[in-house]
Amino acid sequence: MKRKVPTMIAVTTAAVLAMTACTQSTSTPEESSAPEETSSVGETTAAAPAPFDGEVSVAIVQQSGQGDYFQQYLNGTRQQAEALGMTLDVYDAQGDNATQATQLEQAIASGVDAIIVRHGLPDTLCTGVNDALEAGIAVIIYDVVIQECAPDAVQTQQSDALMASLVLDQMLADVGEGVDVGYVNVAGIAPLDRRDVVWNEYTAANGWNELFKTGSFTNSTATDTAPMVTSAVTSNPSVVAIYAPYDEFTKGTLSGLEQVAGTEDVLVYGADISTADIELMIADDSQWMATGATDPNAIGAAVVRTLALHMAGELDGMTVDFPPVLITRDMLLENGITNMEDLRSSIPELNISDVSSADWIPSVTF
Amino acid sequence: MSTQAEITTLDRVRDLIVKYGFIVVTVALFIFFAVTEPAFATSASVLSMLKYASVTAILGLGVTFSMVVGGLDLSIGSTAGLSVQLAAMTMVFYNLTGTTAVSVVLIGGVIVGVMNAVLIVVFKIPDLLATLGMMFVIQGVKLIPVFGQSVSSGMVLPDGSTAPGKFDDWFLQIDRGTLFGIPYPVIIMMVLVVASWFVLSRTSWGRKLYAIGANPEAARLAGVKVKLHHGLAYVVSAVFASIGGIILVSRIGQGDVSAGSSSLLEAVAVALVGTSVLGIGKPNAWGTLLGALLISIVLTGMTMMGTQYYHQDTAKGLVLIVALLLSYTVSRHKNRYVPAT
Repeated sequence: MKRKVPTMIAVTTAAVLAMTACTQSTSTPEESSAPEETSSVGETTAAAPAPFDGEVSVAIVQQSGQGDYFQQYLNGTRQQAEALGMTLDVYDAQGDNATQATQLEQAIASGVDAIIVRHGLPDTLCTGVNDALEAGIAVIIYDVVIQECAPDAVQTQQSDALMASLVLDQMLADVGEGVDVGYVNVAGIAPLDRRDVVWNEYTAANGWNELFKTGSFTNSTATDTAPMVTSAVTSNPSVVAIYAPYDEFTKGTLSGLEQVAGTEDVLVYGADISTADIELMIADDSQWMATGATDPNAIGAAVVRTLALHMAGELDGMTVDFPPVLITRDMLLENGITNMEDLRSSIPELNISDVSSADWIPSVTF
Repeated sequence: MSTQAEITTLDRVRDLIVKYGFIVVTVALFIFFAVTEPAFATSASVLSMLKYASVTAILGLGVTFSMVVGGLDLSIGSTAGLSVQLAAMTMVFYNLTGTTAVSVVLIGGVIVGVMNAVLIVVFKIPDLLATLGMMFVIQGVKLIPVFGQSVSSGMVLPDGSTAPGKFDDWFLQIDRGTLFGIPYPVIIMMVLVVASWFVLSRTSWGRKLYAIGANPEAARLAGVKVKLHHGLAYVVSAVFASIGGIILVSRIGQGDVSAGSSSLLEAVAVALVGTSVLGIGKPNAWGTLLGALLISIVLTGMTMMGTQYYHQDTAKGLVLIVALLLSYTVSRHKNRYVPAT
């Protein structure tokens, strides 16, 4: 018995070392090809300016990488970075804000040329972003309101105001002015707050009577929002339309309405798009009429192009908005669109390949 | 006679591995990452790794105290989260200073510790179950006064008014400031490690705590006030959690509702890893520190190599299991930590 113990230790130690070695070998860039969507790289007609004539290393410091949306986003970022010949390090805080602050420090310490900061809390990231700028690192922010404290960082976001107004114009066309409406949203989340501003403008301008505002932003937003919508609609049966400007809210609203008889005619207006969302919109008798959306792959890629322009000194201004498109249920049904791939081929504008483009940047399209 | 000869050869190797195995692995991994990733061993990167380890180590020290008395404090992560909310509320809602916030947080920690202690030693609920219950209670309670929202300066309160206060600059410096180039959290961590080591290994109180963990009945017969000291260990644990929470909220700069929730498992893991260091077999302060450093080295190294988070979780788990193998399987010591339930 005793003689076996040292052997076992040796095997254990070897196994640990082997594991470590394994994780190293899987970390090569090829690994990222697994979840890729089909994409194509555009042609360039000019030589790349400095610093893109040499090696450029970039880190993305993301607040969370889990979920379909963020995976597509990162896919776009990877592909565009690859097309530009950049090396890309990925720091993923897994939703932990303190970790994101530390990882931003680590990214700075690793000596990269540029850092993309995607989502997170402005108060948490402000110090790190300024440290990076001071160290001469170019910083591109996506969807964090940070320019107040770090004016030298380039700020990008999808245009939430446009996303809201596209959908609300459609809602106005469908239900008209002066009707009773419901609203599903929460305060305190930057993109949702920007959509909220537009919503308030539309309710005031069109005499819409907001009878309820409900919703819950949690780890299972749709599930937790549904019962809230059920009770809100039960006590406000005169509502003809509901605006739920985030797809988890929209899903929660749809399943909440299912529980209340007599609400089959309530129209629902949402935001965002995914294959799962498309399936909901094209379902028989679906109440989800319209949504405003961007393609996360395309956004992830456009952020990298913005970074490239900025580093080459060719970016005008310090803010770039990525425009969304309006997607209606009718449009989906007419064109027989059943998934994201169909949608992309049907609406090439989703690629936003002309945003932050230049003759030396090979734009990636999806 | 022959058995004695066998013990000297085989067990020497065994003892060496048990004693130095973990330190060797830690150093080896550091060298490995330093060679493969040029940015890994720079001073900025090393400081950031130490900083990364600080909160985990401090919470791990709290867990260590609860483990010393034979228990396990599962409420440690949520207590840190409570501290985050208490500090943010004190400064943002009530417009008070950072010093007040620190006091409020520490008082909050003592209250949680006393509640844990009462549940365990007065109401005789097993440690794991009592602190599990408290974990859920605190996770909910901390959100009641803040209406379930993350507290940030300038936030709109439910009555439509704007929160009057903001984070004290002084308070934000707890995480961001440095002394002779060394970040404060690292200094706080080292002070607490040395203090915990001293208390646990060099004072009669520490010996009483270990005696309670080894055999409470024997400790009682030897005249130790088992209930009192068992309870006090949980108060220490909760206060350490509060200190960790102060660093967390200073780092985040907002009363982030989810802060601290991911800390529990890491804190327990590093305290368990710590039991295997130097073949001590018992929870101890230096071991916990080394455990936190090892986890930090592994995570930073793997991040720089571009591995996905799930590989990192796997690596964390393997580190823990290897440590447990060293403590429970390979080691000849019999006085190892076994949690009371």
